[in-house]
Formats: sequence, structure tokens, C-alpha cells
Amino acid sequence: MKRTVPLMIVMVGGILMMIQYFIPHQYSQVVFDNYTEWAPIVGAFALLLGVGSLTRVHSHRIKRKAPNWPYSWAVLIPLFGMPFLALIWPESLWGGSDSPSVFHFLFMNIQVPIQSTMFSLLAFYIASAAFRAFRAKSALATVLLLSAVIVMLAQVPIGEIFGPWLQNTGLWILRYPNLAAKRAIMLGVGFGILATNLKIIFGVERNWLGGAGE
Amino acid sequence: MNFWDKMLNIDRRWIFLAIGVVTIIPFLIGIGMPITTTTEVEDIFDFVNELGPENAIFVAFDFAPGTQAECMPMAVGVVRHAFHNDVPVFMTAYFPLSHGMMMAGFDYVTNPSIDGYYQVVEFAEWAHLREAGITTKAELVTEWENEGNVLPENAANWVFEGRDYALLGYAPLFHLVILGMTSSIANQYPEDANGNALIEMPMLNEHKSLREVDLALTTAGSSACMSWITYAREKIGTPIAFGVTAVMATDYYPYIQSGQIIGQMGGLRGAAEYEVLMVENDVTESTGKAFRGMDVQSADHLLIILLIIMGNIAYFAGGAHKRHQMKGRG
Amino acid sequence: MYETIGLWVAAFFTLAIYSFLYKENPIYRLAEHLVVGISAGYGIAITWEITLEPRLIQPLLAGDNWVLLIPALLGLLYITRFIPSIAWLSRYPIAFLMGTGMGIGFPLTMKASVLRQLEAAMAPVYASGMPWFEVLGNLVLIFGTLAALIYFFFSKPHKGLFFGTGSKIGIWVIMLGFGATFGFTVMGRISLLIGRVQFLLGDWLHLIE
Repeated sequence: MKRTVPLMIVMVGGILMMIQYFIPHQYSQVVFDNYTEWAPIVGAFALLLGVGSLTRVHSHRIKRKAPNWPYSWAVLIPLFGMPFLALIWPESLWGGSDSPSVFHFLFMNIQVPIQSTMFSLLAFYIASAAFRAFRAKSALATVLLLSAVIVMLAQVPIGEIFGPWLQNTGLWILRYPNLAAKRAIMLGVGFGILATNLKIIFGVERNWLGGAGE
Repeated sequence: MNFWDKMLNIDRRWIFLAIGVVTIIPFLIGIGMPITTTTEVEDIFDFVNELGPENAIFVAFDFAPGTQAECMPMAVGVVRHAFHNDVPVFMTAYFPLSHGMMMAGFDYVTNPSIDGYYQVVEFAEWAHLREAGITTKAELVTEWENEGNVLPENAANWVFEGRDYALLGYAPLFHLVILGMTSSIANQYPEDANGNALIEMPMLNEHKSLREVDLALTTAGSSACMSWITYAREKIGTPIAFGVTAVMATDYYPYIQSGQIIGQMGGLRGAAEYEVLMVENDVTESTGKAFRGMDVQSADHLLIILLIIMGNIAYFAGGAHKRHQMKGRG
Repeated sequence: MYETIGLWVAAFFTLAIYSFLYKENPIYRLAEHLVVGISAGYGIAITWEITLEPRLIQPLLAGDNWVLLIPALLGLLYITRFIPSIAWLSRYPIAFLMGTGMGIGFPLTMKASVLRQLEAAMAPVYASGMPWFEVLGNLVLIFGTLAALIYFFFSKPHKGLFFGTGSKIGIWVIMLGFGATFGFTVMGRISLLIGRVQFLLGDWLHLIE
């Protein structure tokens, strides 16, 4: 029950769905339609796992007065406050320029700027890394560096002052050698995904069972 | 420690400061350097430009706020272009946070404070016209204006919810939702994000599944965009276009060459190209945020190339490479 | 008023994050924690409103689709993860979604990422009127892909004409590709910074358009 049944579900579900693809029969379509209707519902509940884990971690931190514990309130309050607001005031979910709401306000004016700005910090770090670590130490490293510089210049308007050859070279690198390299990597990844899929479906790979009891 | 070593060990905050300054100044000067367009973007533009009211497209907001600076101008550009040509647009979101991005993007296109915006007519507002059997765009506009509604001066046109657009939004396990929509959109979305029943929408009745949709543009900051190829393109042949962040753009060139996607907008540059094409083809009067950002992009790229050159000069001239080699041998 | 307050709050948090560039500080830490809480809270609200309410609750309340109780009960089993004695039950929804997901994805992934790509790799090298750089490019495309594949083939030692030379050419092609990716990565990171500066200078301070 604890391990065999889940492994059987994976195998039967996997094989059934694979067969379904090759048999465009009416019954097979009914199975397919029901499945695509059900799956998002099951998937939606997975969010509870995330919320549960977050709550557990941060409530423990508050209880134990761990270092920086007051910040855990900054996680827990919006974690429960946002759904509460949406529940008591569903129309507030959408907001927009003509319908102010607290829910929308928190998302647009706190979540969006913080997340966008965090990602933009990488611009500073990549500049610093380019200065400290991007070295033409060998012939291969020099090729990488030259390719990067040509593409960087070719992608911006100022690159056009060097003449059309630069942009054309940049595009040529992207469309041919870059494409060849990425295709080779992608084929490797593709085969890897397929092999992993089969290993999981046939129960060879079982790490996903986790440590929830034997 | 010689001069070159000191240079190599400079406090990185000076580099941060240089990036900050070089990013701000070109904005204040505002040069507006022209950019040329590439076939990767032109192909998407031409495809959308050929569509009309009898067609429909999907614009998928598959990015989170972290990459909105790159992805939002692409999505907004294509939605504007579609609205301009009266092409119905279904909008979806791959992640919960991208649902918010979808709402923000739609708000940007329909916000009265922005010139050339599209004036929304909500689903309930034109229910009487729907019941009277008036559902084509041209008839709707005529009838709506005959009722005394006046299009604001700075608005480009009316857009009717359910006729011109449907905000479908987020659903968990979105790749399976794409798969489900190859059979039926309404099965996957009984209601849109505003709580309107999809089966009552004229655009849904004309385009019941992805099979009846002419293009799906996915704007993504992750490999979420691949789901559209795998589950829509390969299942039923829906034409797909990519609008992806620059970081990912190089990875998807194989899909352009294989014909699995009709084109790709890569990063801010791709979005800027789309904006330029819209102005050149009289879809919009002026370019947007992406084009305005390209001057800064030029300046920052030059600075970073300069930093790479300086870093290499300091490394080799200061003898650091020899010390590293010796350490390697030791 | 609503929009103005929003702009100031957004600007405050933008600067709070940038303050990290100078030094880590309590305001940055507050923002860092807030973003975790808000995104999870937002996720719950949206999932409830967009997915569970219209797809599950409403049909159940209307009493015409009791079969939906099956996915609902299956989904609820996720919660057992927090009860150690029955935590194994949480494997059931995972098994259902993973097995079916992989089965459904297998033929499509095979088609999208392998077969179509192999087909496209066999492109014609030359067609009449094709400029020389495209012909050269097509050669690079075919032999470059092969060479890069050889480089990633670790079951044979990279020696001899086929594996040795092939993998050497392969790594040069890969380096050109990685260079292009680095260039694009720089572009992407700068674009994200541009987005924030446009917000600060434009939307907030109105110094630019």
C-alpha cells in the first residue's frame, strides 16, 4: 500500500496515457478530456504543501526566537492576509487603474517592485563578474570572449556604427554555430528526459517516493 | 601589490556605481538611436498583421514579475497589434504570479491615462446587444456608438470583452491545460478571470479549441514556453511564436530553424523591434518602453565590454596570469 | 491618490532592494521576507478564485458533478504529508500526476525535442542563389551539431579521427554558442535594470517619458 500501489499508479497511468496518444478513439478521448479536467484540480492542492511548509518553518522560527525571527512575521502575515482579503472581498482580486483594492495594491506595489528589483541586481553582479573573471586565458576562452563581445555589440543600436558586418556576424553566430551547439545540448537533454520518464514509469527510478515511510 | 593588482581588487561597489550612472545618463539625454529589425521578429509581426476579426490568437503571460521588464513590452505589443486589427485575443497565465502580470499587461493596454489605449466595454455592459444577436465587431461598434457612447479622444478603439478579448488567466499544471484546450477551451476554463461564463462569449463560440486558433504567442522567462510547442504545436499543429528573455533566447534558435516556432522576440531588443515595426506599419503612433531602453542598453554594453578589456589588461599586464600558472604547476 | 501612494511604496521597496548593493540591511531583509509571503498568499488566493471555485466548488454545490469529488479527495491527500503516521498517502496524488503526466508527455516530447530536431538537422546545405555565408552556416550547422554531439558522448575516449577531432571541433562550436549566451545574458540582466530605472525616473519621478 505504501510503496507498491503508488508505483503501480505511476506505471498504469503512464502506460495508459501513452497508449491514449496513439489511439484516437472516442473512449480514449473521453479519458483524455476527463483527465485534463481533473489534473489541475489535483494539482491545485499541491499548493497546500508549500503553504504548510512555509508556515511550519516560520512559526518554529518565531517560537524558538531564532536569529532574525521578527522577519518571519513578514512572511506569515501576507501569507494568510492575502487569501483572507480575497475571501472577504473577492472583487478586490483584480484591481486595475479604475478599481483600487488592498489586494491588488500589495501585489502591484510591493510584490512586483521587490521581485523585479531583485532580478535587476544581477546586472550589477554580471558587470563585476565580467571585470574579474572573464579572461582570455586560452584559445577556447578567447573564442568565447570574442563571440560574447560581437553578440553584445550586434544586439544594440550603437553596434551599427561599426557597419553592417558586425550585426551580420552577430546574427550568423546566433543562427549557425550557436544553433548547432544548442541543438546538440537539447538532443542530449531530450534523450535524458525520455529516459527518465521511462525509468519512473517502470519503477526503476523511485527517489520521488521520498521518505514518507516504508 | 602593484597598480594592476590594485585595479583587479577594486571594491566592486565602484563597478556598481559605474553601471548605475551609465544606466541613468542616457535616459536623461534621450538619444533614440535607430534599430534595424530581424527576420525572427518580422515573421511574428507579419503573421499577426495578416490576421483579422475572423481569426483569434492566444497571448500567454508565462512570466513572473522578475522578468517583466523584458517580457511585458512583447506581450503588450502583440495585444495592441491584435486589438488594432480587431483580432480576438485569449490571454492566459502559466503561474499564479503571471496571472497578476496578465492583469497588469491588460491594464497597460486599456488604461485611459495612456494615449492610444483601448476603451474596454465589459461583458455585462453589452449583454443587450449580444442578446439581440449583434456580435461582429463592426456592427457592435456602430450600435454601441448609436446608443450615445463616445470614444474618448485619446483612445484608439473600443474593445468588447468576450468579442475582442477573454482574460482566461492562471490554472495549475498549465501544460495539461494547454493539452486540454486542444479539445475544448471552455472545458478548461468554465469562467474567465472576471467570472464571466466562457460559453456565452462570441469569440469562444467561433474558436472552441486551440485547433481553431491561429497563433499562440508565449512570453516567458522560463522553459514554460516549451509547453506550448510540446503540447499544442506537436499535438495539433498550432502555430507558436516565442517572446522570451534574452537569457533564454539563444536556446531556442533550433526551434526557429526547425519551423516549430514562427519567430522569436529575444529580450528587450526583440520587444523594441516589434515596437519599431508597429510604428512603421501605422499600428501605433510612437514606440514604447522597450525602444526607449535601447540607448541605455548600448551604453551599458559598451561599459561592460570596457570592463572586460580592462580586466584582461590588468590580469595580463600585472602578471597575475603567471602567478596563476605557477600555482597550477605547484 | 491611490496610484500616488502605490508609486511611493513601490519606489521605497525598489530602493530598499538596491540598498543591498552597498550593504545588507534590515530593510532589505524585510523586503526579502515580504516577497515570499505575498507571492505564496497571492498564489493561494488566485488558485482558489480561478481554479477551485469555478472548477470544483461551484459544480459540487450545484450538485451535478459529484465525480469531481475524486480529484478533490486525491488532492486533499497531499495534506497527509504533515501527519507522519499517514504521510505515505501523499504519494498517491504525486503518483497520479507524475505517471499520467509522463505518459502523456512522452510521445510529444519525443516529437518536439528529438524527432523534429533531428529532421531539421538534415537541412540542405546549398540551394540556388544562396549567399556564401549561408552555405558556410549550413555546413557549420550540420557538422557543428555532429561535432558537439560527439563532444558530449562520453562512452568512448575522445581519441582518433572521429572521436578525437570531432570532439575538438565540437568544443569550439560549443564555446561560440556559450559566448552568444553570455552576450545575451548580459543583455537580459541590463534590460531588467533598465525596467527598474524607467520606473524610478519615469513613473515615480517623472524625469523621463
